[in-house]
Amino acid sequence: MPALSDINSKIRESARKLLADGRAEVVIGYRQGTVPMTTSPMFARKPAECDQLIWSNFARINLANYLPGRPGKVALVAKGCDARSAVGQVTENQILKDNLYIIGVPCTGMIDTNLVLAKETRPIKELVETTDEAITVKGEGFSTEINKADVLRRNCQTCANRTPKLADELIGPETPGANPDDFADIKALLNKTPDERMAYFKDLIKDCLRCYACRNACPLCYCPICFVDETRPQWLGKSTDPMDTLTFHILRGLHCSGRCTSCGACETACPVNIKVREFNRVTELTVQNNWHYEAGQSWDQKPPLTMFQTDDQADFIK
Amino acid sequence: MPEYLVKESGLKEFFQSLANGRHLLTPQGTGDKCKLEEAGPDKVNLDYSNTHMSPKSAFFPQSENLMAFHNKSDKPNPFVYQDLGDKAQPTVIFGIRPCDARGLSISNRVFQNDRFTDPYWKGKYEQTIKIGLACASPSPQCFCAAMGGSPYGELGLDVLAFKVEGGLGLKPVTAQGEELIKQTNAAQEDLAQEIKKQEAKAIEAQGVGTDLKPIDDKDLMELFQDPHWTATAENCLNCGVCTFFCPTCHCFDIQDEQSEQGGIRMRNWDTCMSWLFTVHGTGHNPRPSKTERVRQRFMHKLKYIPLKQDGIRGCTGCGRCVVMCPVNIDIREVALKMCQPPAQSQA
Repeated sequence: MPALSDINSKIRESARKLLADGRAEVVIGYRQGTVPMTTSPMFARKPAECDQLIWSNFARINLANYLPGRPGKVALVAKGCDARSAVGQVTENQILKDNLYIIGVPCTGMIDTNLVLAKETRPIKELVETTDEAITVKGEGFSTEINKADVLRRNCQTCANRTPKLADELIGPETPGANPDDFADIKALLNKTPDERMAYFKDLIKDCLRCYACRNACPLCYCPICFVDETRPQWLGKSTDPMDTLTFHILRGLHCSGRCTSCGACETACPVNIKVREFNRVTELTVQNNWHYEAGQSWDQKPPLTMFQTDDQADFIK
Repeated sequence: MPEYLVKESGLKEFFQSLANGRHLLTPQGTGDKCKLEEAGPDKVNLDYSNTHMSPKSAFFPQSENLMAFHNKSDKPNPFVYQDLGDKAQPTVIFGIRPCDARGLSISNRVFQNDRFTDPYWKGKYEQTIKIGLACASPSPQCFCAAMGGSPYGELGLDVLAFKVEGGLGLKPVTAQGEELIKQTNAAQEDLAQEIKKQEAKAIEAQGVGTDLKPIDDKDLMELFQDPHWTATAENCLNCGVCTFFCPTCHCFDIQDEQSEQGGIRMRNWDTCMSWLFTVHGTGHNPRPSKTERVRQRFMHKLKYIPLKQDGIRGCTGCGRCVVMCPVNIDIREVALKMCQPPAQSQA
């Protein structure tokens, strides 16, 4: 059971060294959030600033999101999924491999705040976390310890890649992966009629505000102008009309095909708790079945949607 | 105006009389599921931190149809936009937190002022009696007192309700509010000292807020040109969460949508965090990067609105943006940076 303070010291030590050696101009990591159960991205440029870097059971936002197009040398504090996203961005030519240094933190999964709030419904005023296995939440007249295993995010429950294997260094020993996603629910869904699937996805996004937090928290969504923001022509209506909203989610899901690393940043960012990953899980299953491809697992693999091979299935062209 | 008291045993009857001939919206559900909804007088939740979203959508819905036209040449006025009017009905909202009521009063001055009146806002706003519920126990993200409000604030409310031993205290704020209370089973009771006591305790529990006077004193252009904005904006994802959850954000986008039968003109919530918000028809964008967009939001809340609204800050300290922001950008920290002299605000 590694103490978070040990992980913190190792991250800080590494960050300070990288800055001092000129290996990185900036270290992107996490700092403590200002309210319980939050963290905030931290950009450390001076050795003294590295003291604010922390590790947490709430280090959920994928910091690879800050890489695309970034000039200069950068070090990234990354979980297994985040490191895969960063590798994916290198293969998609969004950042030069030589400019990237990955400080890999073997992960034990991150906490879904909603699950904590479901377990402890009284107003939480304080969080205590000292290890990566349990947390204590406190409020007026209560102090409740919660095992992390009981409140893991959905994507973390089925993460087989908790250790960032392609990282330049690892902070602490490797952590075992969980049983991978078996996509059982998605397979069942895909066997339903188009009408049933439409009803499922319409219900899934019924609370969507179109704030685009999912898109903006996603390390894959780096288009300079998203198709929903284009005006000449304007492809989509701007209201919360169910078809316009669903079109956004479906198209975003398709654009992410074969690139998603199930980091869950979209679901963490969503303010109305939409299971945004359901769209990505459909496309991931399809890509895995057809091309046996998983994003971010090697530096030189090419994403299936950017490739053409003569033995590709082409029976849809007659 | 004197205070009133409803005994716990009389609460059901009290809410029934509020609903008499009016829609009654009350807090339903807990945690981030808490919403202001019509659910009947016997299902009122008095134990919630705050509603998940601010109450602004009751007056300013995320999407609202303003006008419509049809294309049937054999019917009157084809191809001409007709005002759809406002479908407002007499409503009582119970359980608006004082921070949110203050937010409504700020937006009200945007939608109704000596220059113009927005009929869609006005209809709903003026037909709604707003009953607040004071906050005895602040959340970690609460800072209404630092923004000039109070957990027992009255601005924007018709009645302020507060929990007392064995019942619910009521303090009428407007004549309309007192009129409504007189129609219920609430009985007059002197609770002035009780409110003062509770308010002092609640403010103390929030802790000492930052003194934001330096922002008021600083020159607008000095704040605008402060070098900290690039670093302040570095985290920002430029999503619209802060603006959509903010009780005072009121910007909208007007869109025409057409179908085979005709078309509608609607307005939708917009967000200054978006690139699209300011892009011109020429392609030029006066707020080209997230630095300008983030600066706009905080300057609007903490400098432009106070300049336009007699010193009242455009942030009411509800703390929704602090908690909901995916990267925890905290307006309290940004305000601190804005308070600092330029030389120290770079970090």
